[in-house]
Amino acid sequence: MDPATLRVLIEATVKIALLFGLNLTVVAYMTLVERRVSAWIQDRRGPNRVGPFGLLQPLADGIKFIFKEAILPPHAHTALYLLAPVIIFVPAMVTLSVVPFGPPVELFGLSIPLQIADVDGGLLVILGLSSLGVYGVALAGWSSNNKYSLMGGLRSSAQLISYEMAMGFAVVGVLMTAGSLRLDDVVRSQMTHGWNVLWQFPGFVVFLTAAFAETNRLPFDLPEAESELVAGYHTEYSGMRFSMFYMAEYANMITASALAATLYLGGYHVPGLARLGLSPNLAALVQVAAFGFKVAVFLFLYVWVRWTLPRFRYDQLMNLGWKVLLPVALGHLMWVAFIVLAGWA
Amino acid sequence: MAMRVDFFLVMAALLFSIGCVGVLIRRNVIVMLMSIELMLNAVNLTFVAFSHESRSMTGHVFSLFVITVAACEAAVGLAIVLALFRRRRTTDVDDVSLLRW
Amino acid sequence: MHLLTGLVIVVMAVALLRAIVPAQPTLTMLGGSIAALVLLVAYRHDLLGTEFWAGAIGFVAILSALLVVLHPNPMVSVLFLILNLLCVALFYIMLQAHLMAVLQVIVYAGAIMVLFVFVIMLLNLRAEEGLRLGSGAERWLAMGLGGVFAALLFWALRHRGGQAWAGPGRYIEGFGTARDMGALLFGEYLFVTEAASVLLIAAMVGAVLLAKRRLE
Repeated sequence: MDPATLRVLIEATVKIALLFGLNLTVVAYMTLVERRVSAWIQDRRGPNRVGPFGLLQPLADGIKFIFKEAILPPHAHTALYLLAPVIIFVPAMVTLSVVPFGPPVELFGLSIPLQIADVDGGLLVILGLSSLGVYGVALAGWSSNNKYSLMGGLRSSAQLISYEMAMGFAVVGVLMTAGSLRLDDVVRSQMTHGWNVLWQFPGFVVFLTAAFAETNRLPFDLPEAESELVAGYHTEYSGMRFSMFYMAEYANMITASALAATLYLGGYHVPGLARLGLSPNLAALVQVAAFGFKVAVFLFLYVWVRWTLPRFRYDQLMNLGWKVLLPVALGHLMWVAFIVLAGWA
Repeated sequence: MAMRVDFFLVMAALLFSIGCVGVLIRRNVIVMLMSIELMLNAVNLTFVAFSHESRSMTGHVFSLFVITVAACEAAVGLAIVLALFRRRRTTDVDDVSLLRW
Repeated sequence: MHLLTGLVIVVMAVALLRAIVPAQPTLTMLGGSIAALVLLVAYRHDLLGTEFWAGAIGFVAILSALLVVLHPNPMVSVLFLILNLLCVALFYIMLQAHLMAVLQVIVYAGAIMVLFVFVIMLLNLRAEEGLRLGSGAERWLAMGLGGVFAALLFWALRHRGGQAWAGPGRYIEGFGTARDMGALLFGEYLFVTEAASVLLIAAMVGAVLLAKRRLE
C-alpha cells in the first residue's frame, strides 16, 4: 500500500471516528438540554438529581432503554421492521461528512481540511441523503402491521417529501450566489460577500421552516403526536429500537442546524478574525468553536420553538408546504437571480 | 489501475435482460413497472459509459432526460394502477385483460 | 475480465436455483454467499483495486435486480430496486459522472421509488402467496427469450470497436460536473429542456386527475 493511500485512510478514519463520537455525545446531551430548556421555559426545574446539574441523566436514560424489553410484534415484517431505524439514522450521520467544520489545519507538516469529504456536489449530496431518509419512516409505518403506524408513516412521508422541495429551492438560492456546489466554496463566498442570511432572508426563513418539517419537530410533528396517532410510525417500537428513532430525531436536528449554519450563517467564518493576527492553528480552533456556537444557537432555536408554538393540523401543514412555502421560495429565487445579475453578490 | 468501459456495458446488458424477463414473467402490475424502471436504468448506464468513452457530455444530458421521462411514466402509471385498483380491487394484469366483464 | 466471467457464472447459477426452487430462498442465499466468499478469497490480492470493487458492486447490482424480479413481496422488491439504483450510482462515480450519480440518488432512488412505496402502502399490498409467475410454459419461454436476448447483447458487445478505459487513472478535468451539464442544457439543448418541463407538468396534472377520488 503506497503512503498516499495510507495517509488518506488514516486521515479519514480519524476524522470519522472523532465526528461520530462527537455527534453521538451531542445527541445524548441534547436530550438533557431539551428537558432543561423546556423546564426553564415552563418555569420549573429540569432533571438535576442524576449527577451535578443532571449531567449524567443521558447515561441513565441510555441504561433504561437498554434494559427495556424489546418487543417484536407478532405479525410484523421482521426484516423491514429491524431495518427502518437504521435507514432513518444513517443519512443524518452521513450528511455531516460533507459539512466543513473549519479552515484547513497545519498538523505534522500537512494541511488537513476539517471536512471528511469535500465532494464536487456537496449541496446535492445533502438533498440526496435527506431523500433517502424518507424510506425509514415509510418502512417503519408499513412493517409494524398497525393502523396507527401506517397512517403516521404515510402522513410523515408525505410531509417529508413536500418540504424537501421548498428546502431544495432555498438551497438553489445559496448555490446561485456561491457559484459552486462544494460546501467549502459556499463558506468562502460568504466570507467575501457577507453572510447569506443578510442577502437572502426569505430563503433563510424557508430553509428553516423546511428543516423543522424535515426533522418532524414541532410545530410539524403531527405524525408522532400522542393525542392523534398514539405515537405515529414508532408506536410498535420499544427499548433500544425506540431509542434509535429518538436519537435519529436529534441527529437530524444537529445535521439541519449544521447545514443552516453553513449555508446561511457563514459556517466557520468569524468576521474580523484576520485582524487579530493569531497563528493559523489557533485561528482554526477559534473558527471551529464559532461554528459550534452557531450550531448551538440553532439547536436552542429548535427547542425554543418546540415549547412555544402549537402543533399544525395535517391539512394546514400540507397547505403551508405547497401553497405558501413553494411560491415564497420561487419568488426568492427571482430575487437572488436579480442580485446575482446586478452584481451585488 | 484502470478497467475497460466494456465492463459497464456488460453490466447494463445484464440488467436490461433481467428487467425484460421481469416484465414478461411477473403478473403484479407494480413489479412490472419496477422492471421497466430497471430497463430504463440499464439504458442510462449505457449512455453514461459511452459518454465517458467519447469524452462528450451529450450522453449525460440524454441520460438526464431519460430519468425525467421515467419519472413521468412512473407517476402516470402508478396513478392508473390506483384508479384501476379502486374499481377491480386487484393488481394482477391477468384479471384486467377484458375491457368489461 | 476473469473476475467478470466468474461473477456472471455465479449470478446465472443463483438465478437458475431461484427459478427452479422458488420456495427455498435460504438455499439460494447460502449458495450465493458461498460463491461470493470463494470469489473474494480467490481475488484477495487486489482488494483495493478498482476492478475488484467494480466487480463486487456489479455482483450486488445484478443480485438485487434478480431479487426485484423474483421476490413475492412487492415492498421487498422496491427495497432491492433501491439497492440496485444505489449500485448504479456507484458505477456512475467510477465513470466520473458525479452529477449523474447524485441526480440518480436524489431523483430516481429518492423520489420515484418513494412514489412506488406510497402506492404499495396505499393499496396495502402484502406478499403474494406463492409466486405466481405465469404458467410453466410461459415462464420457461420468457426466460429462454431473455437468455437469447442477453446472448445477442453479449455478441454485439464482443464485436465492438473502441477500447476505452475507465477508473481513477483516467480523470478528465471538469468532466461530469454541474457546470458542463448546465452549459449543455441551457445552451445546445435548451429546447429539449423546456419541452421536458412541459412534459413534467403534463404528467403531474395527469397523475392528479387519474388518481382523484370522485366525490359522488
